[in-house]
Amino acid sequence: MTPTDIAVIALSVAGIFFAIVAAVGVLRLPDLYTRAHAASKSDTLGAVLSLGAAALAFGAGVPTVKTVLLLVFMFLTNPTAAHAIARAAEDQDIEPWTTDEEGDA
Amino acid sequence: MSSNDRPPYVESTIIMTTVRFVAPFVLTLGLFIMFHGAESAGGGFQGGVVVGTVILMLAFAFGIEAVRAWLNPTAILGLIASGVLVFLAIGFGSVALDGAFLEYHAYEQLGIHHASGYGIELVELGIGAIVTGVIIGLFFVISAGFDPAEGEEEDLL
Repeated sequence: MTPTDIAVIALSVAGIFFAIVAAVGVLRLPDLYTRAHAASKSDTLGAVLSLGAAALAFGAGVPTVKTVLLLVFMFLTNPTAAHAIARAAEDQDIEPWTTDEEGDA
Repeated sequence: MSSNDRPPYVESTIIMTTVRFVAPFVLTLGLFIMFHGAESAGGGFQGGVVVGTVILMLAFAFGIEAVRAWLNPTAILGLIASGVLVFLAIGFGSVALDGAFLEYHAYEQLGIHHASGYGIELVELGIGAIVTGVIIGLFFVISAGFDPAEGEEEDLL
């Protein structure tokens, strides 16, 4: 195995790990804000690591440039989308989940 | 808007900055997908949706009402109409040249090489214009909300 192969496998495994973390977070966390938090951070990292692995596997060439561009835009837009969703939720007066008994829902 | 008691929309610096940066790239990608449709994956429908998304992004960033005021409804309708016209012109143009409907090879006799390539390209652009216009129109019609008490929508776009 060449060092490139090892790097590709390591990046893929890390990407899959963070994607699974994001999926578990979206399923298990209690409300919109915490789910947006899981979906934005972990999912972005998972996607970016996976795309990094793909870019490495493609080697030098046009597909790599496209993958890297995709990676950059993913990195920019995914957190912005999460921010927009959380902002819209706040605008709609959706209360964040707390452990307080009084605000129990 | 259906709920007038809500405070007016306040722009977010984060969203505005991202949209300002990303919008030109998205527009380019949409056109790229449209032009790509003649030879490989892509086409007017997908590209049109991506181009329409640019206006939707602007609406998310700068407020729906502000973008609605900035947009010219006639321009959107003109976009849709011109798309239909381009499609029909290409389609019936070949009929006028003794071909079947959308038979691009009929244009070869005018001395145009790769007529089918250019023909498909123009048809894709026409479809793209229609899809873009419809996506933008639908978005603003839906965002205008529907008041059941009133019975009918106010002004579209």
